[in-house]
Amino acid sequence: MTARLVMDPYPSVLHKDETIAKGVELLMEHRYRNIPVVDDRGCYQGIFGVNCLLRLVLPKAVLLERGLTTVPFVSDSLRDLRIRLKEVEDKPVTFCITHNVPVVAPDTPLVETLLTLYRTHTSLPVVDPDSGCLLGVISYWDVGAKILEQEI
Amino acid sequence: MQHAVSTGLIFDWDPMWFSGVLFVLTYLVILSDRINRAIVALLSASLMIIGGLLTQQAAMRGVDFNTLGLLTGMMVIVAITRRTGVFQFLAVWSAKHVGADPWGILVMLVLVTAVLSAMLDNVTTVLLIVPVTLLISEALRMDPYPFLFAEIFASNIGGAATLIGDPPNIMIGSAVNLSFNDFLINLGPAVVIVLIVNLLLFYLIWGRNMHAKLEDRQRVLNYNEREAITDFPLLWRSLAVLGLVLIGFTMAHHLNLQPASIAMGGAALLLLLDNFSRKADDQSRSIHASFSEVEWVTIFFFLGLFIVVHGVESTGLLAMLADYVLAWTQGDSSITAMAILWGSAVASALIDNIPFVAATIPLIKSMAPTFGGPEGLMPLWWSLALGSCLGGNGSLIGASANLIVAGFAERSGHPISFLRFMLGAFPLMILSILISSVYIFVRYL
Repeated sequence: MTARLVMDPYPSVLHKDETIAKGVELLMEHRYRNIPVVDDRGCYQGIFGVNCLLRLVLPKAVLLERGLTTVPFVSDSLRDLRIRLKEVEDKPVTFCITHNVPVVAPDTPLVETLLTLYRTHTSLPVVDPDSGCLLGVISYWDVGAKILEQEI
Repeated sequence: MQHAVSTGLIFDWDPMWFSGVLFVLTYLVILSDRINRAIVALLSASLMIIGGLLTQQAAMRGVDFNTLGLLTGMMVIVAITRRTGVFQFLAVWSAKHVGADPWGILVMLVLVTAVLSAMLDNVTTVLLIVPVTLLISEALRMDPYPFLFAEIFASNIGGAATLIGDPPNIMIGSAVNLSFNDFLINLGPAVVIVLIVNLLLFYLIWGRNMHAKLEDRQRVLNYNEREAITDFPLLWRSLAVLGLVLIGFTMAHHLNLQPASIAMGGAALLLLLDNFSRKADDQSRSIHASFSEVEWVTIFFFLGLFIVVHGVESTGLLAMLADYVLAWTQGDSSITAMAILWGSAVASALIDNIPFVAATIPLIKSMAPTFGGPEGLMPLWWSLALGSCLGGNGSLIGASANLIVAGFAERSGHPISFLRFMLGAFPLMILSILISSVYIFVRYL
């Protein structure tokens, strides 16, 4: 029983050269939280997700490490946030992908995989440890479906 | 001045050579930035004891607990006060007060930074003000460099004005028993002059061309500074304690109290006021959080450094160096003061000013007989304070505050290049030291 058993082998992906506008469109259209980003060879590059989107629309200064802990005095409007997003829409998704999401290998034991999923709070990319290629994605829904289809 | 503190060096090494080599190695490793400076200082201090140069008791006698207590106490007070949002309030209020005009904002932030640096300390001040500055410059769609450059200068200049403004002053004040008022009266006027001159130069360099669109200025004007205050009851308590502590500093001599006692007393009082209504479990968490805000790396760095310098001093090496300096200056107080002012300024621009000042203090102390006792050393102390504090403006690595600003700038996507900063900052620092030279000369020599 390994990660391969519960992964979706045909996930939606973004190519690293696709624009942030395209990534946002995919996120909004399918209500995804995260989308893996790959290169020409299908190698995993990182994750573009809703947190990237939030990072793009917030003032940079509020996200600084050891910076402001709260900003109740800032009264930016939705229009201000839209303007910020517009300014970076044509940049490639790699501009703001994150590498913080852990990945699992296809032969990671099932319980270890689920523990990682539980701790990460988001879908997990399954990556071939030798080639670095993306093999699939494990989401809560895939895992839930696989568990429920078991007969007992 | 040889103190009998050694228990006998291992391998019968010469104490002066042993301490000198260890001292130079310590500084070189600190300078290389390869190993955290607290580790280096503590390791070197341990070697002073294990090597047999100092006993543990002698090493502890070298530690200036007044400096450590003052730093720790103020760090706790600021850690609690910052939770109220008062520093963001001040920065936003200042920006709005000048109609969000970029040059006006720069002037106001310089003044706020300088005053807070004098009343708290410059490292804490930039930690609190720079994030808001970056937010404001982003809202104005302006390059934050002029604001950050000016704040670095303001923090080091403002910090020079008081006993608690900059670590070198804390060390000098503690070693020579100088009060908060002594610093304010003797260095305050020089600091005001230097600050005004620098502001004029900032105007000529940037101020004339700082413009922002009306729409972007409106974004800043829409900020509601009152919303920045997140805890009004704690704000009043913090300001009351801070006020008491500052009054305590100004009256320390009358009260026969050392600065560390005042700062630690204030910290304890504010901890009590912040926690007395909490349950026991909450108190533990809250106090743990407040103590975790103390910069323990700095405290342990000081601890180790004091022992290292005490070890070197105990061998008579620093007294010998003082004799060389006096031979070079021919015992003339004007030449010696200028040598200390300019030497400490250039050294502080290039290396960390804390270890430099730690080593220079005993060196100056041993010059007392030449200048007719401790009173005759006063121009030298003020020269050291001005040189080491203002010299920190000479380069990006000249002071801890500079590095913190550079770190913020880099993380916000506006890195400050070492060379660009130094090309602008070093000449301005030299000008500050020229002004200080005239000030010292006219007032004391």
